[in-house]
Amino acid sequence: MKKMVLPVLAMCFASTATMAQAPKIKFEKYTLPNGLKVILHQDKTAPLVAVTVLYHVGSKNEDTGRTGFAHFFEHLLFEGSENIKRGEIDQYVKNAGGTLNANTTQDRTFYYELVPSNQMNLGLWLESERMLHAKIEQIGVNTQREVVKEEKRQRNDNQPYGSLLQETFKRAFKVHPYRWQPIGSMDHLNQASLQEFIDFYKTYYVPNNCVLSIAGDINIDSAKKQITAYFADIPRGTKPLYRPNVAEPALGGEVRDIIEDNVQLPLLLQAYRTPKQGTNDYYTFNVLSTLLSAGQSARMTKILVNKSQQALQAGSFPYALEDAGLFITYALPNMGNSVEALENSMDSIMNDLKVTLVGEKEFQKVKNQIESEFVQKNESMAGIAESLANYETYFGDANLINTEIEKFRKVTREDLQAVAKKYLNRDNRVVLTYVPKKK
Amino acid sequence: MFNNQYLILRNNNKMKYIKSNFQIFKSSNLLVAFLLILGANVNAQVDRTHAPKPGPAPIVKVGNPATFVLPNGLKVYVVQNSKLPKVTASLSLDYDPIIEGNKTGYTEIAGSLMGEGTKTKSKDVLDEEVDFLGADLNTTATSASVNALSNNFTKAFALMADVVLNPAFPKDEFEKIKKRTLSSLQTKKDDPNAISTTVLHRIMYGSKHPYGETETDKTVEKVTIEDVKKYYSTYWKPNIAYLVFVGDITPANAQKLATQYFGKWQRGIVPKFTYPVPQAPAKTVVAIVDRPSAVQSVITLAAPVQLKPGSENAIPAKILSNILGGGDLSSRLNTNLREKHAFTYGAYGSVNSDKLVGSFSAETSVRNEKTDSAIQEFLNEFNKIKKEPVTALELSSMKNSLTGSFARSLEQPSTIASFALNVARYNLPKDYYQKYLSNLAAVNVGTVQQVANKYITPNNLYIVIVGSAKEVAKGLEKYGEVKYYDMDGNVTEAPTSKAVDASVTGESIVKKYLTAIGGEAAIAAVKDVDIKGSTNVMGTDMEMQQKYVLPNAFVQTILYNGTPVFKQIVNNGKYEMTVQGMSQPLDDDTKAGLDEEASFVSEVYYLKNNYSLTPKSIETVDGKEAYVVEVKAAKGKPSTNYYEVATGLKLKSTTSEEGEKGAVIVTTTFSDYKEFNGVKLPTHITIDQGPVKSITIKEVRISTGLKSEDIK
Repeated sequence: MKKMVLPVLAMCFASTATMAQAPKIKFEKYTLPNGLKVILHQDKTAPLVAVTVLYHVGSKNEDTGRTGFAHFFEHLLFEGSENIKRGEIDQYVKNAGGTLNANTTQDRTFYYELVPSNQMNLGLWLESERMLHAKIEQIGVNTQREVVKEEKRQRNDNQPYGSLLQETFKRAFKVHPYRWQPIGSMDHLNQASLQEFIDFYKTYYVPNNCVLSIAGDINIDSAKKQITAYFADIPRGTKPLYRPNVAEPALGGEVRDIIEDNVQLPLLLQAYRTPKQGTNDYYTFNVLSTLLSAGQSARMTKILVNKSQQALQAGSFPYALEDAGLFITYALPNMGNSVEALENSMDSIMNDLKVTLVGEKEFQKVKNQIESEFVQKNESMAGIAESLANYETYFGDANLINTEIEKFRKVTREDLQAVAKKYLNRDNRVVLTYVPKKK
Repeated sequence: MFNNQYLILRNNNKMKYIKSNFQIFKSSNLLVAFLLILGANVNAQVDRTHAPKPGPAPIVKVGNPATFVLPNGLKVYVVQNSKLPKVTASLSLDYDPIIEGNKTGYTEIAGSLMGEGTKTKSKDVLDEEVDFLGADLNTTATSASVNALSNNFTKAFALMADVVLNPAFPKDEFEKIKKRTLSSLQTKKDDPNAISTTVLHRIMYGSKHPYGETETDKTVEKVTIEDVKKYYSTYWKPNIAYLVFVGDITPANAQKLATQYFGKWQRGIVPKFTYPVPQAPAKTVVAIVDRPSAVQSVITLAAPVQLKPGSENAIPAKILSNILGGGDLSSRLNTNLREKHAFTYGAYGSVNSDKLVGSFSAETSVRNEKTDSAIQEFLNEFNKIKKEPVTALELSSMKNSLTGSFARSLEQPSTIASFALNVARYNLPKDYYQKYLSNLAAVNVGTVQQVANKYITPNNLYIVIVGSAKEVAKGLEKYGEVKYYDMDGNVTEAPTSKAVDASVTGESIVKKYLTAIGGEAAIAAVKDVDIKGSTNVMGTDMEMQQKYVLPNAFVQTILYNGTPVFKQIVNNGKYEMTVQGMSQPLDDDTKAGLDEEASFVSEVYYLKNNYSLTPKSIETVDGKEAYVVEVKAAKGKPSTNYYEVATGLKLKSTTSEEGEKGAVIVTTTFSDYKEFNGVKLPTHITIDQGPVKSITIKEVRISTGLKSEDIK
């Protein structure tokens, strides 16, 4: 009833459904005797190379009394190594005309250098030093502890809505380590001894727990020789790797809370528990999220922002991780609109998905948006290297970079309705309202 | 690092309010040939103790796009790159900047409105069609762009052409955009960096120069839909536009599309303007914008310079800028002000080229007490980099870094297009970017020093300080004449301070106030009060009601379209506050504040509850002398009140509140006193912090027989 499709328009669009093909990303993959997985992708269009290492360790591998360790290492491992003095890693890369950075999630830690192609060996040297014998010393621990505290202040404590994921995940998960965020607890970092940091390094920063992924203007044969020269001697790790095997029970009823924060505007968030990444339902939720919030004609944007003007901004995103996921919808109420009314409107959008099958034309639009996004994804060398490493680490199949689109294509309108019915229910969600701290 | 916290921000919907003058492309890949010789000798054994030697540097060749001009004057550039099957087209205008005068902001509004529907497609239909193609379409004051997969590109391009050639300028969307612009301006008023930019531009370029203009709520209010239409019909002409294609498209196909969709676009005469060239001041001027609430000073030291993009000095100036005040922690300004002195989180400075007028500018934010020292350190660094050449190591390291970032920028094919556009717009030599790296390599320490001496003028600067004048102004006259400005960049009077005569007490000042508003007897006769008015909450006007049943019942309600969005109540010791329908917990300070408010006239409450009232000084408030009185209860927060010496009336009150970055002073002003049943009340109130910005009282009814049951 609400969807008045103009038939002529729909027909003329229906004929455009053939899609451009994403170019295939070619790569080579092999494993060194010490367990290090290597992925190489050659692209000579720019004289650049991205040297990246993805360690399969994130906050979910942490001890409950030592949260924040994985992210702390992302900082600590810029301190130096047996052969690199403190603070020199940055200088080497800067003087080579390159950039570097790192990031940590619940599931993995990722390091990269993007350098001119004649400096690939510099990247290999820095990464192999980090893997072989990084310096874990009290002075570096002390320094980085202060930096991480500043980071937490700046990004979480002092940022409007900065505690949002933390507040959401700790309510959505009661048992699984996803209940805490990578930034972790400053108390835990304060309490940890140097030996604990050394143990963590020796456990997780080993060749058999990571992927070396290189993309850019490389010569494959000589890159292989260099990789062997820098990495083959690094000993395989022998300590057991802790991988949580935790069955998180059902949420068992809606969780609601109000959070006071330094914000100008209230924010309403609904987070539904969903299956982990890579499952059929995961792909369905990605399609669902596009339907709800990609582009001006997406349902949440159109209904809440453009039409009723109840919301200043509204959107959704799937937050799926290796062991479990959330589907998050959110909106900021416009002046003079109550949070309750906004929540009712959001609920009615979700209910409509359960009651009414998505129309064919709208579904085609969403599929087109997904195809477009998939094709355009692999733009930068650093991005390609990271995607290859992610797919290999999580699914043992780097080639998903080329084939994952098939999984999106298999999603049907009925699937959308089915996941809406199965997951978008009150007893499966956390609802948080952020309100301005009163003066 | 640790970037997974930002999903929400990245997932925001398409932002249509991007302020952008020029190229906004997304892109993938490039039309550049590179020759690369990899270091070929490989040994199985590596020397781990040293960084590996780099191979020979790759030779970076910068390609040229295909280019042609349509008969109507539209200049077209095509960067063909088939790495990904997608195309971006971007149309941008190149006209002399316009003085928008008392309607500043109308071009921005026009840019936003263009994307909101065409003569044949409503906003809904347009949005629907763009999304169906999996495309992105954006418009700004001076540009329109579209991005789509190759096989949908023709259709997406047709939509962009429709938006550019047939905008509908729908009235309802115009009103929405205006409203959003006004609320975003509202949030800027709390932002010292925005104030600093406004004031600096106003005094450095002057109000008769396009760079000296800033939009304010007054100028935006005046914008009409006719202004928008007139702007469009005057300036959106093919003969001043560039159309750039980047991606999986041949020049031939691009030419076909450009001709088909833009070939009939009529050329027109676009007005040209010249402006007086702004000059550095003969002597340094210190410009203070007083923000009594500030805990930090935002400091900018700047002067206009004559430096055109692509001119001989542009590359040495870029090296100089990055050594002096680039983003690195190792820049000279950061090394000094951040690492050595710990005055600030970051200090920056640069010499910037511009077609009309360039600038030298350096800026930082420091805690109040370090304002003077920070300025001194800036000047020390300026003088040092003029007097002594930079070191060979600084220079070579910076050249490496800039060479790397130039090469990395070429990973995006749009870079080639923007190079070509720069060559056209700034009239650069055709091979400017091909020779960029060799010109960069040729810069020596002598050249860097020469440009430092030419563009850095420590004795001829505008030093703008947005901060608490009372705390930071002392001693600044040694840098130059000190002047005071308001938030919009108008000259204003210096805040002054005098001692209070010993015969005047806090109690006498408060009693004089009570007399001034009608006398204690008239106030004591008030049984109840019923007030109606309006309030501005973050740019939105709302209705406000207040009711009092003396001495201890009070309710304030703020309504939007008849719905209460905020309410606070005290009724005989029971307290309540709701925000957008949700009940809020109340702390003791808030409760004490409500008790005081319930007394209707706070000064009566002060005397009754034995507040300590201490006169501190006499200061000028908006040109009027006022007693500054510190008001303290036994418990609860202190406040500072300002009572006019001449009339006794209260002009303003400040309290200290905990804000995001420590203590913030909240200033409330009272004006337009009017008499109601023998009692004078201020009918206009402003508050400089928090969402409620002003209150205007329209109707006051006194002693009409309200009961405490009515307080709900």
